[in-house]
Parts: sequence; structure tokens; C-alpha cells
Amino acid sequence: MLKSHKKLTRREFLATAAIVGSSIALASCGATPTATPAPTATKAAAPAPTATKAAAPAPTATKAAAAAPTTAPAAAGDAKARVIRKLILVGQDQGSDAKEFEMGKFTADAVKQLGIDVELQAMPWEQLSDLVWYQRDKWDFTMWQMVGRAERSDPDELLYNLFHSSTVKDGYNFIGYIKPEYDKLAEAQRAETDPAKRVELVKQCQAMLNEDQPYVNYCHQMMDYVYNNTVWEPSTILDQAGIGAKNFWTFISAKPKGDQKDMVLVSGPVVTAINPLYISGGTDSWVTELIWDRLMRIGTDGLAKPWAAEKVQWADPKTVDITLRQGMKWHDGKPVTIDDVIFSFQAPMGDEAPMYKPFVSRIDSITKTGDNTCRFVLKTAYVPFETASLAKINLIPKHIWEPVLKDLSTKPENAEKYQEKVPIGSGPFKFVAWKQSEEVTLEANTEHFNAPKMRRWVLRFVANPEAVLGMMHSGELNFISFYAGDPALLLSEVQKDPKLSVVSTIELGSRFLAMNERRPPFDDVWFRKALSMCIDKQAIVQGIYKGRAVVSNSIISPSMKAWYNDKLPPIPVDVKAARQLLKDHGYDWDSSGKLMYPAGKTETLAK
Amino acid sequence: MKHWRTIQLIAARVGERLLVLVIIATILFFMFRLMPGNPLVAYISPTFTAEQQEALMKAFGLDKPLSVQYFIYMANLARGNLGDSFFYKKPVAQLMGELLPNTLMLTVIPLLLAYAFGIVAGTVLAWRRGSKLEGAGIIYTLISRSAPEFWVGMILLTLFAFKLKWFPASGASSPGVIYSSFLHQVTSADFWRHLILPALTMAFYLQGLPLLLMRSNMLDVLEEDFVTMARMKGVSEWTVVLRHAARNALLPVVTAMALGIGYTIGGDVVVETIFSWPGLGRMLVRAVANRDYPLAQGAFFVLAALMVFMNLVADVMYYVLDPRVGRTKEATT
Repeated sequence: MLKSHKKLTRREFLATAAIVGSSIALASCGATPTATPAPTATKAAAPAPTATKAAAPAPTATKAAAAAPTTAPAAAGDAKARVIRKLILVGQDQGSDAKEFEMGKFTADAVKQLGIDVELQAMPWEQLSDLVWYQRDKWDFTMWQMVGRAERSDPDELLYNLFHSSTVKDGYNFIGYIKPEYDKLAEAQRAETDPAKRVELVKQCQAMLNEDQPYVNYCHQMMDYVYNNTVWEPSTILDQAGIGAKNFWTFISAKPKGDQKDMVLVSGPVVTAINPLYISGGTDSWVTELIWDRLMRIGTDGLAKPWAAEKVQWADPKTVDITLRQGMKWHDGKPVTIDDVIFSFQAPMGDEAPMYKPFVSRIDSITKTGDNTCRFVLKTAYVPFETASLAKINLIPKHIWEPVLKDLSTKPENAEKYQEKVPIGSGPFKFVAWKQSEEVTLEANTEHFNAPKMRRWVLRFVANPEAVLGMMHSGELNFISFYAGDPALLLSEVQKDPKLSVVSTIELGSRFLAMNERRPPFDDVWFRKALSMCIDKQAIVQGIYKGRAVVSNSIISPSMKAWYNDKLPPIPVDVKAARQLLKDHGYDWDSSGKLMYPAGKTETLAK
Repeated sequence: MKHWRTIQLIAARVGERLLVLVIIATILFFMFRLMPGNPLVAYISPTFTAEQQEALMKAFGLDKPLSVQYFIYMANLARGNLGDSFFYKKPVAQLMGELLPNTLMLTVIPLLLAYAFGIVAGTVLAWRRGSKLEGAGIIYTLISRSAPEFWVGMILLTLFAFKLKWFPASGASSPGVIYSSFLHQVTSADFWRHLILPALTMAFYLQGLPLLLMRSNMLDVLEEDFVTMARMKGVSEWTVVLRHAARNALLPVVTAMALGIGYTIGGDVVVETIFSWPGLGRMLVRAVANRDYPLAQGAFFVLAALMVFMNLVADVMYYVLDPRVGRTKEATT
């Protein structure tokens, strides 16, 4: 079924390509006679016999030529070359993400108001990411999104990686935004150990981005998590900034009210691996973060705080000292030592865990400085290290993984393929069972320094989104941790059933329009600003998200109160003003209303 | 001499089926490779550098020319190696093995229910030909054949799981229930409570074929001379219908069931999705959607092989059970 669908899109793609080709050909045919009136006129004037008739147009032609002897034909030709080509907006198709597709249609129509032809080319996600990420000079602009992950709680992940010039070639700066002033700010914030000063720098980064509009930020979605308030004490269901109620802190603090002491949660996507060195999908990480401890954890406020580390102290922006918490034990009863900690950070440095390698790549050295202390020295000043590495790397027992990694180093496969029969961590939950495509069961580790209040944590994989609501009413589930259905329906069901409570949060992630600055006209900040003024974000939030989103003006979510710059001047929705802005910066429109580049700039990318 | 002929015929059938399998494997291989987009895009994070990507391509053998990949694939297949899933990082055979028992239960139980009911009801309807009962029965059968499974499933779910709360709505066991073995699982009441709604949904759809088949066979057989003969002998109606007619009419129904197992073994994607049944059907859908080539290819191949095998079984059964099949073969050759 899927195959025929893909085939169809490919055929559609070819068809649209043919249409684009022929319309361009037509446009140029139509343009030729008007662009070269003078030569035909003079030619016609030369032969004497039909001179009376032909003479009539000849004077006007010569008049024009006389008024501007050399520039007029050139200007006419130039005008044609200045017309901005048809821009191709790429985005996900309806089957991949209906909302992204709707936003794409909306955007294409909005941009047309500037006098540009825009065509939306929708495709499946795999094809889209292949184009946008790996063929960086082949696309104009795209509907894109950043999903909210806990490590993105630190603004560095978004502000540095997405916009710093060092990641233009094959990193996250897929739009090719290059600005030395911005680079300096982005570098400064990651080297600033004083939190207050760093906040200031982070806000300056956002202000500069707001000025330059490399992205048109659309919105942050609302995330709704529903729980059964007759089973769980409402005050113990915690909301994590940008992440929502389904978070680590809820799982360790949720207090059962009565006899139902098991939390039964739901996910649509299944768990594919329970491995501290490999995560294949989002759901895998729900499980790994509970089984394995980390030196730090992202708190409910979005900031990293010591967890398995008793103390995390920066000696300078490149050096951090760790003191390990005393008395921790692995699930097999052996004590957690500082050697285990050092091993955990060294393990991904080789080639056995490529997925975690980037998170330890900044470490220059780790040295044991005492029975329960160690020192990390980084290659460059990097304060986000707390969020990006210390709160990310799973602590693993050396006595289990050292022999495994040694054995694997002689084989072609790596640690990603290794599945422990009973995964052993030191985290607040212990592994009990995993039934493929059905459920994962964990139980509270009562010996943990922050032992959960619930008895067991059971994650069910439910393929039918409509059934999730019924199961919640009937008590088969008591926490909706994943919901793929209509959010409006979810909220109305919650209102009908007093047993149910909802926790709504603005997500960390965001949806936006990314413009490829490698390709004009997107290289011009004024063009991007004018385009941005055409997008009615409020209409998108109301029409496409049914109000379950908030308008965005920064890549940083407003839920990250510490980092979000709430003083950014809003961009007005005003097409007239946008056109005026273009006019003020040299843009013009041809006789048919098509937008043209400022004088001196011609279209080089038209086919 | 007669024996030799049988073996020859069966051997020819087996040969044909092997060829079919080779063709299936080839089609599957190229089908997945020719889909647009790089398979790794779905698999790797865009943070990977070009070098990391190349290393991965190499690790999966995707850097080799398609023809070389094809021969490696076929050689592995011949050795029974279906490869490793991209996402689970586990052997395809193991992943399928884990879900096969669940799928088998959701195949065999509904088929047995459907055929048991269909055979009885078909017999009754043929026997009561022309009655109001037959009219109602035919309408019922047509409804059951044309009602979409997702609709029937959702109705059962709403009624029995959400309104009456008699049965659970998802999975093959209650949350957190752990079984020591498959035997332990299938002998537990909990498992059957979970199986009943999806099994009924499937059986409701499946019953139409045996019912109609049995009915029309019965109608044919009841017209036959030996039945008239039996009636003339004064044998009781009961004996005529059951001993004489039904036994003869049953033959094609039994072979249809063998085929039915082959068709249904792939897991019923719709029913598995509605009831979140942990079976092969859902795994297949995910594998295709995620472009988990090895898993999708391997799973499709095994299912196709099972279907081909059940076809062969049906063929052989026909040959063994119905002497006329053998005779026509002999006559044509």
C-alpha cells in the first residue's frame, strides 16, 4: 500500500516538474516579443514599400531609444531577468503530517501576496529530510520543525547548532545562515559560567534572530497529558517546562491514592531497544531514563540539577568537578563507584556507541581525583555540558559492560546490537519484563535514594488512538502519556469524566518556515522580513491547531521561562507594509505584478 | 506405477512452488530498494556527519552495487538467514518468532470458530432450502461478508469493552501480567479474555466463506443420485443429511480452510490494530512505514512462504482425498 503511495507521489512529482518546465517555457515565449520591440521596428522601417504602415510604430521605438539610447533595451531585458522565479516550498505530505501539509498550503498562498509564484511540493518525511538535509543547495524554503527533547532545555542546542556558521556544511544550520556577529554571541553564551550573564547573552541571540528572521517561527503546540485523579494524587503529577506531565519527576513522585499502585501508561510507537548505549525511537528513552541514572537531571524548571552527582562544580569554563553520591547500588546489588562513572563516559568515546558519541566528544580528559570524585576537562569552554552530557549519559556498570565492549571490539557489530536479558542500571526503576509490541514493565527500586511512590510502571503499546479514551474511562489505563487523536476530543472527554484531569503545557519544540539563504531571494534580510509579515500565525493556530498551540516568535519556547526573551518586538501581519518594505529596499513589480529583484540583481536560479 | 505417478506430480508441484519463492524474494528485494529516498534517512539522525553516514552505509552493505546486494541477500536467504532489523538491531527470525504464537492464536481460533459455525449453518441452510430461515441466513451472511472489520471491531469494543466492561480493549494480557511460558499464557483465563473480542471480529468476517461454500456444495450433493437412492431406501432424513450429503460436501470446505490459514497467518492488520494485538500484522506495518528493509523483506518472505506452503498442502490434500483429481491429471498427460 505504501509503495503505491510513494510511486504516486513520484509520478506527481514528475508531473509537476513537467508543468513547471512548460510554464517557464511559456513565460519566456511571451516575454520575447515585448522585450525586443526596438529591433523589429527598425527592421520593419528599413524596407520602403510597406513603410507607411510600418513607419507608425517605428517612431515610438526610436523615441524610446532616443530617451535612453543604450539603457532602455538593456533595462527591458534586465527587468525580465530581475523577475523572481517561481519559488518551491517543500514540506511533508498529508499522509506524513497533516498539520505540516496544511501549514504549507497556507504559507504558499500567503507568500503569493507579494507577487511571487509559489508552489508547494509535498512529500513523505524520508524524502523531505533527504532533500533538505543532504542536498542543501537544491531547495528554496521548507516547513520544518524541531521536536522538544529534554536536552533542548538548554538554549545552546537550538541557538548555537541551528544558527552558528560552523554547522552550515553538514550540521544543524541547514539554512546556511552566516553572520559573524551572531557567531560571537552564540559562542559567548556557551562559555559564560555566570548564569545571569548567560541569560542576557541568550536573550541577545534571540533578539538578533528576530531582526534577521532566518526562520519564520510559527507556533509551539500545546501538549496535553491526562491522568486518572482517583488513582493518582493530583499534587504529585508534576509539569516539566516544555516537556509536560509525562516526565521523569512525575514517575518518581506520583503517589497512589488507593489500591491501584501500578501506573499504566500508553504509547503508540513501540519500544524497540532497552539499551543504555542505543536509542532507536522516542519511546525507548522513556524506559532508559528510568532504569539508568545520570549524574544530573533536567529539573521541572528546565535547568540541570545534580542527581547521581552530589556536587557539580565548575573550576573554570573548561573544567568541572564531580562528587558522586554515596551509597548508590546497581540493581544487581553491587555498589556504584566513581570508576563506573568514568567508564560510562569513556564507553561511548570509541566506535561501539555512535549514537552517544557526540555527547562525549567535547571531553578532553576524565581523571579520578578521589574515592568518589573525578574531574572532566573539556576541549573548549562549554557550559551547556551539564545538559548536553552530564544529564544525558547513562551511568552503566563497568563489571557488566567492560567485558561486553571488549568482546564487541573484535566483531563487526557494535554495542547497539547488544540486548541485556535483564538490563542492569542504578535508576529509580528496575526492569521486570518486555513483551514485544505489547508492554514494558518496570518496578520501583525501593533502595534508590529517590524511590518512586508507585509500585510498578507499565507502558502499554496501544495502536488504536480511539481506544485510548475508552480505556481511560474504563480504568484499563490511568495515564495518557501518548495521544495521536484529535486534541479537542481529548479535552471534551476529560470534561465529561470527573475522574480525569489534564495537564497542558507549551512544548519545547516548535514549527517554523526555514528559508535557504544559499538561494536568493532568501539571502536578503528585507525579503525575509517582508515574507514574515505575510504570515498570519494567529490564523494558523486557530485554523490548523484549533487553538491548541501558541504563536511563536522565537525558536526558544516561552515555556523555558529562564531563557525565553519576552521583549522581542512582534512582527506585524501586514501585506501592504510588507510590499512597501520591499519597495523601500529596491524591489519592484513588473507590468503583470510579478516581484522583481532590486536593480543589479538578476535571477540566476530560474530553469 | 500409480504411486510413482503421484510422487512425480507432487515433486513437480514442489518445484513450481520453489520457483515462486525465488521470484517473490526477488520482487521483495527490488521493491524496497526502488522506493524513493535514502533508507538511512529514516534510520539515522540528521546530526550524523557525512563520514558517519558513509560508515553506516558500509556497515549495512548499502555502499555496494544493487546487484551485489541482491546476491548477498539471496545467498543469506538460502542459508535461512533473514538478516537483522535496522531498528530493533535483532535478527528478523527472532523478532518474528516472538510474535508468531500470538498471531497463530489469532489465526487458528477465529478460523475454527468460523468454520465450525459456517459448516453447521451452511448445512442447515441447504437442508432448509426455500424456507424463511434460509432467506434470513443468506442476508446475515451477506452482511457479515460486507461489514468492514474495523467497523465490527469498533462496535464490539465500544459495547463489550467500554460500555459493559466485560472484556479488555487491548493487548494479549492484562497490564503487568507476566507468563513463564507460552503454554502458561494460552492456558490462562486472562489470555482468553483478551483474545475473545479480536477473535470474534475475525470469525464474523471469516464465517461467510465456509457457510456459502458448504451450502452450495450441499445443494449439489443433495441432488445426486446416491442421496435420492438413500432417501428411497427409507433412510432417515437426519442420516441422509449428515452421513451421506454433509460428509461429501465437506471436502472443498476443508481445503478452503487450509488455504485460509495461509492467508490469515500474516496477521490481520486491521483487527490487530483495533485491539492492539501484539502480532505480526502490526509489526509488518511498522516495518514498512519505518523502511526497516530487512524486517519487512524477511517478514513478507516468510509469510509468502507459508502461504505457498499451505497452497501446496491444499493441492496435495485434494489429490489424496479426491480420487477424481488424480484421474483427470492422468487423463490430460
